Amino acid sequence: MSPLGPLLLAAFLFCAGIYGVIARRNAVLVLISIELMLNAVNINLVTFQNLLFPDDPAVTGQVFALFIIGVAAAEVGVGLAIVFNMFRNRATVDVDDADLMRW
Amino acid sequence: MDALLEYAWLAVALPLLSAVLITAFGKQLPGKGSEIGIAALAVSWLLAVGIAWETFVNSPSAPLERSVDWSPLGGGFVFELGMLVDGLTAVMLLLVTTVSFMVHIYSREYMAGEPRYTYFFAMLGLFTFSMLLLVVANNLLLAVIGWELVGLCSYLLIGFYWEGKSNQDAGNKAFLTTKFGDVGLIVGVIVLSAGMFGLTDTPFNIIQINEAAVAGELSTTTIVLGMLLIFLGCVSKSGQMPLHVWLPDAMAGPTPVSALIHAATMVTAGIFLLARLFPVVAQSQAVMATIAIFGVITLFFGGLLALVQDDLKKILAYSTISQLGYMVAAIGVGGYTASVFHLFTHGFFKALLFLGAGSLIHAVHSNNISDMGGMAKAMPHTFWTFIIGSLALAGFPLTAGFFSKDEILIAADIWADAGFLTGSLIYWVGLAAAFVTTFYMARACFLIFAGENRSHHPPHESGKLMVAPLMVLAVLSIASGYLFSPFSPEQPNFETWTATPILDTDSTYPFTEEVAAGAVAGDGILASEATVVAAEAGDGPVKVLHGVPKWHPDLLAIVLVLFGGAVFLAWRFYGKGLPERDPTLHMGGFTRVLVAKYGFDDAGYRYIVVPVRDRLSAAATYSSNVLIDGVVAGVGRATKNAAMTTYGVLDQKVIDGGINGAAFSAAWWSRQLKRIQSGDVQRYAAVLVAGTIVLVLAFAAAR
Repeated sequence: MSPLGPLLLAAFLFCAGIYGVIARRNAVLVLISIELMLNAVNINLVTFQNLLFPDDPAVTGQVFALFIIGVAAAEVGVGLAIVFNMFRNRATVDVDDADLMRW
Repeated sequence: MDALLEYAWLAVALPLLSAVLITAFGKQLPGKGSEIGIAALAVSWLLAVGIAWETFVNSPSAPLERSVDWSPLGGGFVFELGMLVDGLTAVMLLLVTTVSFMVHIYSREYMAGEPRYTYFFAMLGLFTFSMLLLVVANNLLLAVIGWELVGLCSYLLIGFYWEGKSNQDAGNKAFLTTKFGDVGLIVGVIVLSAGMFGLTDTPFNIIQINEAAVAGELSTTTIVLGMLLIFLGCVSKSGQMPLHVWLPDAMAGPTPVSALIHAATMVTAGIFLLARLFPVVAQSQAVMATIAIFGVITLFFGGLLALVQDDLKKILAYSTISQLGYMVAAIGVGGYTASVFHLFTHGFFKALLFLGAGSLIHAVHSNNISDMGGMAKAMPHTFWTFIIGSLALAGFPLTAGFFSKDEILIAADIWADAGFLTGSLIYWVGLAAAFVTTFYMARACFLIFAGENRSHHPPHESGKLMVAPLMVLAVLSIASGYLFSPFSPEQPNFETWTATPILDTDSTYPFTEEVAAGAVAGDGILASEATVVAAEAGDGPVKVLHGVPKWHPDLLAIVLVLFGGAVFLAWRFYGKGLPERDPTLHMGGFTRVLVAKYGFDDAGYRYIVVPVRDRLSAAATYSSNVLIDGVVAGVGRATKNAAMTTYGVLDQKVIDGGINGAAFSAAWWSRQLKRIQSGDVQRYAAVLVAGTIVLVLAFAAAR
């Protein structure tokens, strides 16, 4: 199987994620964009595992992808909690309003 | 008992301590400080008596020298702080502390009610300390320090009544006149010690100087120049002509001060110093002749001046000058013992006379003998003691003055026998001056005690505190003479007491040996035909110590005739009170010369005081105010301008500008740079991505 399809998909997902992180105002959508980027990385890991080390009995790349999925779930938990608290304090989830850490 | 000598410094230090304590606490005490002074002097006096006794009975005793190094003079020379206790020191200690003690007691009553009573006693203490410092000093520098300190105390006490302009002038005159001689003294000390360089580490040490002189290690130039310069100090301090002019004016001070400083102690400092350095003096015929000539001029012409005085204290002042002349002359004719002995007895009877004069002045409120008269009945104690003092001064047989003055004349006679003209000169002039002395003292005594009371106050005897010192001093004025008289034993007597190991019984004068050997016979005016006679007679060299005096019936007869004649003459003129025409004031040109004091004071005023005051002072003021101050002010102004320029340009512009510029630019940059921290997370993320892309492209390009 040609790796071109999965790699293009991963590149597309990563760029979409970067666009979302930089351009979206809604904090929830920013978190979802981060998930897109993480999943683009997972696709890359699995793809290169199959491409470069097809005989690796430990399937390191795929295991690594599983770890990332786990960590991403934890990250979403923490991120959503932050967003939830932000909404409680400021009645908005617009990241442009979260500008306390400035000069 | 010998340990007592070790404590001689205590006798010196106590009066200083008393002066300090009186200054600090005197005013709060019931006696206003006088009790501290009297107590300190009492202890000092007891110590001095002990030391005197110790050195006297053990005489001739070895000198005790104790010193600590005070400060290095550089070049390995050391300035010692030390004391030298021998018979001569003990004599002076005894004299100074006794007279000072008596004067302290006397002053307690005499000065009562004075506004500066406490200050007076502090000054007395300071003076006593200074004089004792001079006396016990083991080196010439320390002696000079004491010498200058007594001069300072003298100045302060002459000007004690400084409200009066004439008293201030008297103080200034005394200070400046003695200072003139002090310059000579200091230069002389330096010359003498310069001769000691190379011989010792302590070139000012008196014993070492004396030993070096005797051993012939000092050059003749050093000895002659050094001793003549030191003698200049003695001329001014000990009232020798022509620098005697300050001493009569010094009578402006309180009478106890005149007794202590200007009769008994300070004015004898010069003679003390000559006696201290006698082994050096004895090396040079020229020095001894100079000293003798100054002495003989002073003893005669100084005494004459007393004839025309009306002020009792001035009569005594001129008699002091005359007696100091005797002492100086005695040094010049080899009468070392005679000079010190006369210094010793004179201290007692002259202090007695001055204190008696104070008692009289206290009673009649006038210094003038023309305002007194008939005091014998009203003031019996003062009368008797004053008469004893006068007899001693006039040299009446069996008083102290007789023994000491005759000793001087005998020394002069011995000197004349050795072939020196100065000996004969002093012998005959000394006898003539004794006549003058007797006459003016008899004149004073008749005018004061005989006839009618001419004062405006009913006279009264002084109190106990004033009479007691008079009596003590009267006893001493007689008793002190027996220390060295035909009655005294072979040993100890005054001569063995004051003889130091350098001056033992075999000491001679180096130049008399040559004279005796006929080597320099007929050399100049100083050696005469008698030289040859002495040489032929084989008398041998003159010894410094003359041994116990013998009776000299011829001298005794002359003295008695002179005494009787002078008293008779005085009785003829003054026995019945103040005559209409005072004969001493009607002797034509002679009186005019005496009243003008030989013109010394006028000449000094016209040729020294006026030019110095009007020209030298003006020039000095100009050079100080205009020249020196101008330069100083110019330098100051230039410095200020330079400083202002430096401040304006360097400090304000360059340095402050640099510092401020650094601060301002930092602030400006921080204002620009802080905008980066926008707090906008998405912008950070965008920059992060951009940076990553740039890095990836950079690495790709670098590949």
